[in-house]
Amino acid sequence: MKLLLIEDEQELAESIQSYLNNNEFVCERVSSLSAATEKILLYEYDTILLDLMLPDGNGFTILEELKRQNKTEGVIILSAKETLETRIEGFNLGADDYLIKPFHLSELLVRIQALIRRKQFSGNNKIVFNEIEIDLMSKVVKINNISLEITKKEIDLLLYLIGNKGRVLSKSAIAEHLSGDMADMMDNHDFVYAHIKNLKKKLKNAGCKKYIKAIYGLGYKWDDD
Amino acid sequence: MTKNLLYKTQRVYLIFSIAVFIVVAPLFYIITEKLYIKDTDETLITYKTEFLKKYILKLKETDIPVWNKFNNDIKIIKTKGLTDDSIFNTSHYNITEQENEPYRELYSPVIIEGKPYTFSVGVNMLESEDLMISIALLFIVIIILLLSGLFFINKELSLSLWKPFYTTLQQIEDFEIDKYELPQLSETKIKEFNRLNNSIFKLIEKNIKIYQNQREFVENAAHELQTPIAVFQAKIDTLIQGSDITEAQSVIFASLNNTVNQLKRLNKNLLLLSKIDNNQFEKIESFSIKKLIEKQLDFFIEQAEQKSIMIKINLQNDITVNADIGLTEILVNNIFLNAVRHNIKCGELYISLSEKKLTVANTGKSKQLSEEKIFHRFSTSDSSEQGTGLGLAIVKKIADANNWSVSYSFSENLHFFSVQF
Repeated sequence: MKLLLIEDEQELAESIQSYLNNNEFVCERVSSLSAATEKILLYEYDTILLDLMLPDGNGFTILEELKRQNKTEGVIILSAKETLETRIEGFNLGADDYLIKPFHLSELLVRIQALIRRKQFSGNNKIVFNEIEIDLMSKVVKINNISLEITKKEIDLLLYLIGNKGRVLSKSAIAEHLSGDMADMMDNHDFVYAHIKNLKKKLKNAGCKKYIKAIYGLGYKWDDD
Repeated sequence: MTKNLLYKTQRVYLIFSIAVFIVVAPLFYIITEKLYIKDTDETLITYKTEFLKKYILKLKETDIPVWNKFNNDIKIIKTKGLTDDSIFNTSHYNITEQENEPYRELYSPVIIEGKPYTFSVGVNMLESEDLMISIALLFIVIIILLLSGLFFINKELSLSLWKPFYTTLQQIEDFEIDKYELPQLSETKIKEFNRLNNSIFKLIEKNIKIYQNQREFVENAAHELQTPIAVFQAKIDTLIQGSDITEAQSVIFASLNNTVNQLKRLNKNLLLLSKIDNNQFEKIESFSIKKLIEKQLDFFIEQAEQKSIMIKINLQNDITVNADIGLTEILVNNIFLNAVRHNIKCGELYISLSEKKLTVANTGKSKQLSEEKIFHRFSTSDSSEQGTGLGLAIVKKIADANNWSVSYSFSENLHFFSVQF
């Protein structure tokens, strides 16, 4: 999968790039509107990560350019500015998702995965990880082909963990993923522990391997070894 | 002690008038009396002269008893040994009135048929007393008329004179800096008031500018902070991926993570506050508070479970409001969050929706908090709490923007927060 990151803040761009490159992605990086325009003209990408405030102009120009060229790349806007108007304008111009800075890299990753899944949807929208099979449409999780009784939130958590496999996820990142805007209002992320505990128990009872590992003090990790 | 302007001027007038009255009234009395006595004395002398001119030569000694019999006021009596006229005050008993009446009398030595006699003439002063009383009464009436006239003229005049001042005062009282409405200070016909209005206008204009600048500063600062915080967050996310992290490092990362979270929250709330200030939420729609609460409840029940808090919810009534739904959600969330955050382990939390009022009560510190302070920014009662100190300030701001009122009270170990929609 090829990604294009358009972000002028070098430090942030570097972190995003290194986090994403670790996975099934190849992430290219540009820091200006002109460079980005050139790139999208020459290459095809699966997803474009677009910062709105760029030194040589507004990121919306890229969306217009994509539209003009009839390109179907998925676009996730990464913006520090959150107003309803910019959100609506972004979506109207063809953006697929909107992520407000600051965000967790893990969140960005699952958003990219979800976007790619949506774009590539071919009747079979299943995620398989070893003995685990998640059907996104019917919201059914099977372990070794046996259905598991699981809540929506737990499926969400499972997807998030699998999507970020091999990465350490801080409690706050998980909390934010699960509760959206509400989580960062909350200073206590103990509820994450409760959810993880429940999920672990369900997976274990269904005969699933122990993939969820606690990282002392920090958070959790989906580990397959 | 503060009194209004009119009171002060009226008081000075009144004191002056009373002083004048006190000084002038007796003076007036004395002078009038003196004049009257002088007049009476002249009358007595006239009587005497007339007697000497007309009667003394015709009068015989034997006529004296007859004279005295028929004359009430002018009498010839035995000589008092006077050599000159003498005028004095005396009194006679009046049989009909049965009281002593004051008299002014003149004794004058006369010679009748070669023998010395005393001519006595008296004038009843009772009339003069009546006259004096009448004059005094008249005087009082005039004074009262004058005073009250003065009082009302002064009052009316002052009111009309000071009218522009009171208009200006009202304008200033109604002025709210965060509404961006300049007061309408109209031109007056009085130079000083125009000066006052101009100065006030300039002052307000300047203050609004400063206030705007400050607001912009907060907004800009918060916006500018977003990117560094994003970098900070991303770096921590990257850092914790290291494969050789020790437990000790892990603890440090966890605390760094908490710090960046707090920073994020703080910044988010600051941005929110400045957005409300700038009226960036104006999508007014009609919606049900009950539905809004029910939508948010799951999250809070989940949060409350972590502290084993018992929640009792009573949403029998429903309230429909016209407001920005996103903002109202934030208001409700912040109140609930506050009630969970400051709650104790195994505490209680009550949520009830009555007619036009949402009340949230929670256990917590068993002491009353200052209602005045609690809705201010950064007035957390305990520095160990991890709140941003902005939650309730945001609640207040949202309520104010919608003309709702928020209140706090403490009773039976419960902190009550309510919003009157």
